[in-house]
Amino acid sequence: MIGYILRRILSAIPLLIGISIVSFIIIQLPPGDFATSYEMMLMNQGNMSRQEAQAAADQYRALYGLDKPLYEQYFIWIKGIVTEGKFGYSFAYKKDVGELIWERLPRTLFLALAAHFISTFFGLLIGIYAATHKYSLGDNLAAVLAFVGTSVPRFFLALVLMYAMVIEWNYPYIGRYTSPQYAFAPMSWDKFVDVLRYTWPVILIAGVGGIARNMRVMRGNLLDNLNAQYVTTARAKGLRESAVIYKHAVPNALHPIIMYQGTVLPYMIQGELEAAIVLNIPTLAPMFYSSLAIQDIYVSGGFLMIYAILLVAGNLIADIILALVDPRIRLS
Amino acid sequence: MTDSIRIDDVVKERALEPLPAAEEEQPVADPELAAVLRQLARSHESYGALVWRKFKRSKVAIVGGLIVVGLFIMAIFADFFSPYDPVRLNMGDAFTPPTRIHFIDSAGRFHFQPFVYKSVRKLNPDMSSTWVEDTSVRYPIVFFKRGWEYKLFGIFPTDIHLFGAAGDAKIFLLGTDRFGRDIFGRSCMAGRISLTMALFGTLISVLVGAIVGVFSGYYGGAIDNWTQRFVEFVQSFPQLPLWMALAAVIPITWDQFAVFVTMSFIFALLSWTLLAREVRGKVLALRETDFVLAAREMGASDARIMFQHLLPNTFSHIIVVLTLTIPTIILAESFLSFLGIGIQEPLMSWGTLMRDAQTIQTLGFNPWIASSVLFIVAAVLGFNFLGDGLRDAADPYAND
Repeated sequence: MIGYILRRILSAIPLLIGISIVSFIIIQLPPGDFATSYEMMLMNQGNMSRQEAQAAADQYRALYGLDKPLYEQYFIWIKGIVTEGKFGYSFAYKKDVGELIWERLPRTLFLALAAHFISTFFGLLIGIYAATHKYSLGDNLAAVLAFVGTSVPRFFLALVLMYAMVIEWNYPYIGRYTSPQYAFAPMSWDKFVDVLRYTWPVILIAGVGGIARNMRVMRGNLLDNLNAQYVTTARAKGLRESAVIYKHAVPNALHPIIMYQGTVLPYMIQGELEAAIVLNIPTLAPMFYSSLAIQDIYVSGGFLMIYAILLVAGNLIADIILALVDPRIRLS
Repeated sequence: MTDSIRIDDVVKERALEPLPAAEEEQPVADPELAAVLRQLARSHESYGALVWRKFKRSKVAIVGGLIVVGLFIMAIFADFFSPYDPVRLNMGDAFTPPTRIHFIDSAGRFHFQPFVYKSVRKLNPDMSSTWVEDTSVRYPIVFFKRGWEYKLFGIFPTDIHLFGAAGDAKIFLLGTDRFGRDIFGRSCMAGRISLTMALFGTLISVLVGAIVGVFSGYYGGAIDNWTQRFVEFVQSFPQLPLWMALAAVIPITWDQFAVFVTMSFIFALLSWTLLAREVRGKVLALRETDFVLAAREMGASDARIMFQHLLPNTFSHIIVVLTLTIPTIILAESFLSFLGIGIQEPLMSWGTLMRDAQTIQTLGFNPWIASSVLFIVAAVLGFNFLGDGLRDAADPYAND
């Protein structure tokens, strides 16, 4: 088992290296760099002459290594990440991107995981109900909800909630992650409640699509299992229907769901991304978006890396859990 | 292939007299023979006919198909459906709420022909203004009304539009934006970009995915191994953030067509892997079948086997993945356009039309400015329904 986990982790390393190279290339694609805009700013607002501004910009480039060849910049970047946890310098925030990430990553993770939890819990519950009440009103209603949940753009759901909160309800808890008095407070129950007050729309929006997906997968799997012979056998033995479903059919229907979690997590993170940008909740998402606009390349690149790492880690965890519950995978 | 040969043999062995026509459903004593005959009756129909027959049975799929066809018609004939010029500024009508369509007038009388009232702006004491209906005159809704001039298909000049309000009253089904432009007409027009980009991006990804999948599955071995590693690599990229980053790189100075094509490629870049996997799996199974062996023994080249024999057998998968990739791209494109990355004005897509909704003040006073979302939802639902129906129909030989 440990060997299997180690193998899976090792195979993720070349993947991450590849991702880091691509991320780096993408953030270097646009013509010019931050020093170019710095130069423009000096000329327009600082009233410097072209030569002076250019000299200042070159100094700036030398300071942050922007004048070095690309591959060298890449190695410096990677070395910083691996050895010091530094993701490069944010020109807009004047600090290391690593600091920004550590500040905001836990929030993104919390929201995505909360959405994940909700979507798994309710998705399975509704899925089991729909499968055991096939073609009933509830089943059809769930199917309609599933289609709506995956068809309405999540940024629009965010707009609707924003509209409702601001215009209709005068809801005071918007546009923040916590109230100011809890900003530096250690985690406590009060703080947790406070965070939920601000972030429930994001969790809800990211979760809705996941509920729909989990529900449909669960319904299909459970229906397949309910038609299997072992279920008939269990019923023939005279077991209670609840025991047949929850002890026999449901555990067997869970495997594909676990395998599926690897693709649900990115869906959650993307949902968090869309909702948090529109609702302006200070997680990774809005900062990533604004960094793209102002070419704060190390922020864009670092965040892109983090999103990719989350994805790889999610798949890894899903694989490991699957191996834990299914010996066929572990031993093959 | 092998199946039909076997069935023919069985029929020849068992039936000495002419076969009873299977369609007449004559009672056949031998259940095995009856099953064979039913199979035979079906095998006379082409694959397409079988798919269509099964597809027809799914109401949801038919609805999805109709929605999709309807949206395409609205996009192609957008000028015809749009009662007012979708690009001309008309500040007098800025932020007009959706026009109400009435059947019953202010005096309580029912009219068979639907009508609208003129909207007039009323100034409140606090200097804000609200739109109220002037119920003194009824303006019936008329069809094939003459309005602004356009060229059908870019060739035939005409000024006939599907509908409009009689006289000088105006009808804005979904309200107007801040420049007084009809959001319904603009949404029809925006469908051109949104739909073609999704279609184009999907086509590219299908092309790449099918070719990679066939190569990977057919050659197997090291080629397959490396291709699959690469597919995994591409799949491990976070789609939405990467799309955002790539779209943000497009210089704003590029011309519209270049932006359109680049965006389609960006969407295709991460979408082809799903199909590559599916096609590979199918080809891997088909590779060992007799008809491939037969083709090879007859001296067919690898390319011929791959593209003449194997690829057509994966068409059902390709069609299904196609209809399921399109909604993903529509959703992603609308989000990027909503944020203002990628497609920009004057290009119109359903997402760019919703840009004004970004500021909560504007949205708060004029909630209808986000109404082009109706088109997005319709398109995504339509394609999802269609894809679901096709998925079931694509394998018409399965028993249900």
